[in-house]
Amino acid sequence: MRIIEVSHITKDYGSGKGVFDVTFNVEKGEVVGFLGPNGAGKTTTIRQLMGFVRPDKGSVRIKGMDCFKKSSEIQKSLGYLPGEISFMEDMTGNEFIKFVANMKGMRELDRARELMEFFELDAEGTIKKMSKGMKQKVGIVCAFMQDSEILILDEPTSGLDPLMQNKFVELISKEKAKGKTILMSSHLFEEVERTCDRIVIIRQGRIVDVDSMERLQKNKSRIFYITFDTEKTASDFAAAQGGEHMGGRVVTASVSGDMDSFIKALAAYPVRDMDMRKQTLEEFFLQFYGGEEQ
Amino acid sequence: MISPVLLKREAKANWKLLLIILAVLTMYCAVIVIMFDPEFGDSIKALSETMPEIFNAFGMGNTGAVTLTGFLSNYLYGFLLVVLPLVFIIILANRLIARYVDSGSMAYLLATPNGRVKIALTQAVFLLLSVIALNLFVTLLLIIFSKAMFPGQLDCPRFIMLNTGLLGLHVFLSGLCFCASCIFNDTKRSNGVGAGLTIAFILIQMLSNVDDKLESLKYATPLTLFNPDNILAGEPGAGISFIILYITGLILFFIGIASFSRRDLHI
Repeated sequence: MRIIEVSHITKDYGSGKGVFDVTFNVEKGEVVGFLGPNGAGKTTTIRQLMGFVRPDKGSVRIKGMDCFKKSSEIQKSLGYLPGEISFMEDMTGNEFIKFVANMKGMRELDRARELMEFFELDAEGTIKKMSKGMKQKVGIVCAFMQDSEILILDEPTSGLDPLMQNKFVELISKEKAKGKTILMSSHLFEEVERTCDRIVIIRQGRIVDVDSMERLQKNKSRIFYITFDTEKTASDFAAAQGGEHMGGRVVTASVSGDMDSFIKALAAYPVRDMDMRKQTLEEFFLQFYGGEEQ
Repeated sequence: MISPVLLKREAKANWKLLLIILAVLTMYCAVIVIMFDPEFGDSIKALSETMPEIFNAFGMGNTGAVTLTGFLSNYLYGFLLVVLPLVFIIILANRLIARYVDSGSMAYLLATPNGRVKIALTQAVFLLLSVIALNLFVTLLLIIFSKAMFPGQLDCPRFIMLNTGLLGLHVFLSGLCFCASCIFNDTKRSNGVGAGLTIAFILIQMLSNVDDKLESLKYATPLTLFNPDNILAGEPGAGISFIILYITGLILFFIGIASFSRRDLHI
């Protein structure tokens, strides 16, 4: 059953900004990552799902209801985390959470308390004085406390430290086990990699790919920085195995897919040090979809 | 139709602002009532004769007023009780919608099962209630001051009529500022248009009061519809003109809410 249906929406803000003919669906119980670089149109799409903005063309529906016309009806079963944190600054964190709960017509605050404990959030102080990470936690509590069946999360882990990011991934897994339908935008691979069943990739306002997580992981490269014993070995390795000789004894190599043969080839050379990083989303796009279109 | 939770939150967030404006109004009202002293009246009349334009500009030209009601009307209802509450209205109207949209916190209000019309209507009701409270306070304050200091000298029915007219003007000004707050995405433009227009109206009225040659300017400002002298004189047209203010004000609120519920919000 389709919970979220985005069908051929266009919202043109001029000079290439906006979204163009975007189509994707989220099925019941699915966790979908909405992936794209900054400014790709993720938030623009989410605003249309929230009924903040009306598409110029196409339609957005949640549970079969038009997102603009029926927004207040849809909100009854939706938890939302905005991409930009901006609360009523004059309130304390606790007051704000309680206010949002009341606005949602919730009677119990047990779930909110549970979440605050889980994220080790002390929301006594005024929001104005909170760090970005703390504000993000307040936002997360507001989105999840209602135990809604649908969750729309715009860059949920921004501002969180790695420990809290792990906690967030844990939370998503739990919610997924409960059968929640989740759409979550991100510009970070790691975040969606660990949580999502499927990803929708958007770039420059257009959907470039809708894919399963596995295929994405298979195609994704790792970037290795290898330091050899001598400069000669480095240049030999670069020539034989492909890779960029950075000068000195360091070679950078990008590896996707066949990791085993790379490691085995490398084993034949005297290696002094090795460093690895994951490919960024931008690099991934460059690799698969070419450079910036003008 | 409206959200009591939001209404309560606004009361909590804005009571200080209301308190400040009430304190300022109390001070001015007290000073003017105390100034109603036949001798002092003479000296201020002499002063006004030396610079009639200035007194006219501030709507205080009718210094011949000898009754307490006339005196209050001349010194308070021509300018002070229009402009001071206007400052409050401009700030509050901007806070209630435009500031939430500008900062993005409107997203949290709309991410609840409360539709846009309900949110905007709640804010409009809050603004109207505040303005009514403010007017009620001023009316009662002046009646109490007058009764205490000059018993029997205030023409209560006429005075209440005058305040009903003033409330009409405030409803109109609130409608205008609220409408601007609903239509524009950022506080800069909301304030620019809301405050800009209302202040322009006041300046036009001041100009039209100064010089007979500029008198026709009064048709360019809706403030002319609130005419304290006509209300006190019991002219039948005065009532109709302030009813027009009430109606236009409410229409402006309605336009604001309609616009807010239809437009794209980039929050």
